[in-house]
Amino acid sequence: MCAIAAPEVFGSDELGNAKVLILGDIPAELEGKVRRAEANCPERAILISE
Amino acid sequence: MTDTRKPVESMLTDYDIFEPGFVANPYPGYSEIRESECPIAHTDRYQGSWLPTRYEDVVAIAQEHEIFTSRGILVMPPIPGQNEGAYGAVAAPPITSDPPDHHWHRRLILPVFAPQAVAKYEQSTRDLCNALIDEFIDKGTADAAADYAQHIPVRVISNMLGVPLDMEETFTGWVRGVLENMTDMELRKRSRLAIIEYFLAQVEDRKKNPRENDLISELMNTEVEGKKVPIEYVLGVCNLMLVAGIDTTWSAIGSVMWHMAQHPEHRKELRENDDLWPTAIEELLRVYAPVTMARIVDRDIEFQGCPMKAGDRVLMAFPAANRDPRQFENPDEVILDREHNRHVAFGSGIHRCAGSNLARLEVRVALQTWLERIPEFELVDPATVTWAGGQVHGPRSCMVKF
Repeated sequence: MCAIAAPEVFGSDELGNAKVLILGDIPAELEGKVRRAEANCPERAILISE
Repeated sequence: MTDTRKPVESMLTDYDIFEPGFVANPYPGYSEIRESECPIAHTDRYQGSWLPTRYEDVVAIAQEHEIFTSRGILVMPPIPGQNEGAYGAVAAPPITSDPPDHHWHRRLILPVFAPQAVAKYEQSTRDLCNALIDEFIDKGTADAAADYAQHIPVRVISNMLGVPLDMEETFTGWVRGVLENMTDMELRKRSRLAIIEYFLAQVEDRKKNPRENDLISELMNTEVEGKKVPIEYVLGVCNLMLVAGIDTTWSAIGSVMWHMAQHPEHRKELRENDDLWPTAIEELLRVYAPVTMARIVDRDIEFQGCPMKAGDRVLMAFPAANRDPRQFENPDEVILDREHNRHVAFGSGIHRCAGSNLARLEVRVALQTWLERIPEFELVDPATVTWAGGQVHGPRSCMVKF
């Protein structure tokens, strides 16, 4: 789900597990997408620290 | 066949998931239970089960995999004499496994279904959708379920496994025998056995004539801690691909077609706005979640005031949870750009559907291809649409004209 909402930020590793692709701060233009990924993650696995 | 079942006295204490009215439209019944004082219903039918309907309860049960185990995942009790265990006659790891085996079972198949891994099936899926449409586009009428939706997942999966496409009808028959005719124990048993025998022969053939680039061969060559995985695991995954990947996705595609036939405004929005697709697919999956999975209670517990006993069956009604007004605003309404949509069409927790990205791709490509070729269509007669229900909910015949 996160990879659909924000493909620039979320992907998966070679084992098929979800993975964050960007190190450090999320660019401002992607913030909306990342918030949507957080709001839609069925496992509540995304935490945004500000 | 006359229906000899006894009438349902109360949804709260006597629900019947195979009652024809409930099969065709389970949502009013789910809503009645969910909004009552007793949102976890119970029935003595089919050897008894519990039916949680609120989002919060369904998710809690899905997450508590140590208490609510996956030793049995079908909404019906096992066939007498057949083991429900992880390595029962025809298990389907990792869906039927509990930890610790579950972890390596699941780890081995996740990469196969990762978003970038399933993307390579997009073009072949589009081609097969187009080929199906070619068959009926000149007739001005088609069965969107039986002539279209039904053929898509089984062909995609045959292609992945590396088995001949002419097995399509046979596979479909077996899967329906396992999942749709659950009250016919003999048919279930025959169907399950047929699946395992077929794949055992496929494995034997690959031992003699090794192949590359098909999932069965890949699984056979997979090693865990330096040893080839047991043959039961390979057979189990093949069984899983059929049983979990065919009826379910075809039901979702069918329901989406049924919806779109009745909603020209949604067809128009999707045609005009490409950006809408990601949220639209999630929304359609939420509203038309096809699957209900069962769990077996491990030990006596009280859950939300319900005295559950070890061995009790709990039906996780994901379609009911997905329409809980506590979690979703206007839950019965399809809102294609719904912003917050933590739906559980694919379940939750360690058994969350491993094939969700493949299912999403199939639903999206099936609808996109249809809308490109047949932008305007409607139901021939809403009253003639027929449905399957119980474990998997979706239309089995859905005539449309265009």
